[in-house]
Amino acid sequence: MGGYAGTILYVDLGSKRITRQTLDIGFAREHMGGMGFGAKIYFDLIKDNPQVDPLSPENPFVLMTGPLTGVKMDGVARWSVGSRSPLTGFWGDSNGGGFFGARLKFAGYDGIVITGKADAPVFIHIENDDVEIRDAASYWGLDTYDTNDRMIADFKPAGKRGGQVLCIGPAGEQKIRYAALLNNKRHAAGRAGLGAVWGAKNLKAIYVNGNKPIVVAEPEKLKELKQELKGVYEESIFIDALRASGTPAHIDVGVLAGDVPMKNWQMSQWDDIDDIGPAAIEEKIHAGHKTCYGCSVACKKDAEVKTGPYKMARGPAPEYETVATFGSMCLNSDIESIARANEICNRAGMDTITCGSTIAFAIDCFENGLINESDTDGIQLTWGNAEAIVAMTEKIARNEGFGALLAKGSAQAAAKIGGNSGDLLSTVKGMEAPMHDPRSAHGYALAYGVSPRGACHEASLNFNVESGAMLIPEIDALYADYEEQSSDGRAGLNMASQDYGMFFSNCAIFCNLGATPLNATQAVSMVNYVTGFDYTLEEVMDIGRRLWYLKRGLTNLFGARSADDQLPKRLLAELDDGPTEGSVPDMERMLREFYALRGIDEDGIPGKDILEKIGLSDLAARLHR
Amino acid sequence: MGYFESPEKFEEVIVGFFNAMATSEMAPKLLKSGLVIRFNYTDPDLVVVVDCSGDQIDVRPHDTESKSQVEMSMSADVAHKFWFGKVNLTKALTRKEMVAKGPIPKVLKLLPAIKPAYAMYPQYLDSNGYEQYNILKSA
Repeated sequence: MGGYAGTILYVDLGSKRITRQTLDIGFAREHMGGMGFGAKIYFDLIKDNPQVDPLSPENPFVLMTGPLTGVKMDGVARWSVGSRSPLTGFWGDSNGGGFFGARLKFAGYDGIVITGKADAPVFIHIENDDVEIRDAASYWGLDTYDTNDRMIADFKPAGKRGGQVLCIGPAGEQKIRYAALLNNKRHAAGRAGLGAVWGAKNLKAIYVNGNKPIVVAEPEKLKELKQELKGVYEESIFIDALRASGTPAHIDVGVLAGDVPMKNWQMSQWDDIDDIGPAAIEEKIHAGHKTCYGCSVACKKDAEVKTGPYKMARGPAPEYETVATFGSMCLNSDIESIARANEICNRAGMDTITCGSTIAFAIDCFENGLINESDTDGIQLTWGNAEAIVAMTEKIARNEGFGALLAKGSAQAAAKIGGNSGDLLSTVKGMEAPMHDPRSAHGYALAYGVSPRGACHEASLNFNVESGAMLIPEIDALYADYEEQSSDGRAGLNMASQDYGMFFSNCAIFCNLGATPLNATQAVSMVNYVTGFDYTLEEVMDIGRRLWYLKRGLTNLFGARSADDQLPKRLLAELDDGPTEGSVPDMERMLREFYALRGIDEDGIPGKDILEKIGLSDLAARLHR
Repeated sequence: MGYFESPEKFEEVIVGFFNAMATSEMAPKLLKSGLVIRFNYTDPDLVVVVDCSGDQIDVRPHDTESKSQVEMSMSADVAHKFWFGKVNLTKALTRKEMVAKGPIPKVLKLLPAIKPAYAMYPQYLDSNGYEQYNILKSA
């Protein structure tokens, strides 16, 4: 069996017991990897007592790599995490890139299952076969940058390569509801607040180092595929744009389609948008290129602000989502302030999408008279006030004053603020929507609505396909040429995007950016050449479909019903000008069609028959008692 | 049947539009790029070079000799829809309905510069006797 390290590590922080489970080849074949492994293991741990508090010791945490992680190919460096989300209360998962996943595989582990809670702050130290739970008192309180640097300095063997660190910052320690996990200061598993799960477990970090090789089952075939893909990547304009400008390249293209949300989803045109676009980034803050393990795309960028109020040393630059949440969503045209807000979030370990969106929501409340300076600790939360946006980001990171309310996320803040503040939300299932406007592509609305983890453009491949970046000729629904700004056919598109997406970016854990040019034949072949399995496209779609239903079922077990699949008013309000003028997704129709295709009943629960048919009898029994 | 009934009419419309852009508010930003762009159109076939390398934008139909840094190839219908803002650029490039060759980052930098053209194109058609090609009116 190639690709896999062969062992899953189980760490119980309460009892300090560490066990190793050999990866069963049948299990690997059936679930492939990533959250295919993780969601199954998680479900088996909680299925008899699913009402676990997300911040309790009883809430397990799973961290998994994929069969490709650690292989030197473009767009396969990723790892994923899952647990019950402290932000939403539903199933939460997230994945990140960088170097941590590869190093975990080199140490000999496909994943780690973490249970219980330590009495005092700890970290997990992994050096090949040596695994220890160690005292983290000296790291507790440090931000993610300092934790990363200090741990590597403390444990780097003389004259040898240092390890990789995955850690939380002060946000996770304080159980801020959208705390993230970061590797190497920039590679974040940001969404769903799983950093707070670590904080609640008193787990500061995992340090891992290892030097075991990953065996590729069919190296010659993989080499041939690599050669084939070289030509594909050279022809890809999407990859060219990523290489040049990283994800913020999307601003120039997205704004033409009305995809970039502005003023808390109230506009799709803004005169100042170019001040935060790729050209402005290059001119004002760009400081270099970075990448993930084995990937030649190098879409990660560095930023530096040399002088002024937002001065920051060279470090991770804001991604597109961050530029949009702290920029266009707040009508903030100061790119240096956005870079600084990004640094605050990264150091504290916070999801920039939820943080920036929550600040945009708070500005909306302020401008509508629902809150005032006496609520906001004297900060003038007005549109475009860069100074106020950065100041509020700092207060959130410190969980202090009004920032402590916003640290709970916008949905909980709205419940406290009251009035009609709920009308200003962008959340589905309590999670703030990403920076892609469903009025520009109606399928996004359905994707956000039925995503098991809440409003998310990465919970399937719908965004990649409907935006036009990804083309899968082998699957009709992912190849059809859909009419723009129409709700026609989006239920089928979403279903296929979910099934293929669960295989692609959840089980195999291809990168949704760096692996975008791959067609299905190339993607399945890569998995087969690395593992030695002989998956067909039909089989990987079945694996993906089962995982989608399992994640949906977990969210149902945690209480979600059909009402939780609805979109907030702000995302469905008709705009009277711009590229999306008059375009409103027909959410009722798309949901009706989607439920019918998926066999989901009017309460939002997948039917017993379909669950049993796809091999989820355990889940069916618990959802249909 | 495409939008244009003859190659001559397409040339008249598209070259006229490029010339209008060349003297519009967009010109300084386009000139800043310094790019020489060749548009290769099909159905009907037409080559137009838009030269931003000098002090003024030079639009040269049928120029197959000049060296260009960027080549954009597409059908006349895709080009027409593009200037209305009715083409999903990402999708068109992925599906090769538009093919771009050259320094892509430089091409992408042109996008903010040409944004005003989307509003300008239908106005240009209406005010130059080309109302019948305004797909916003016929929709």
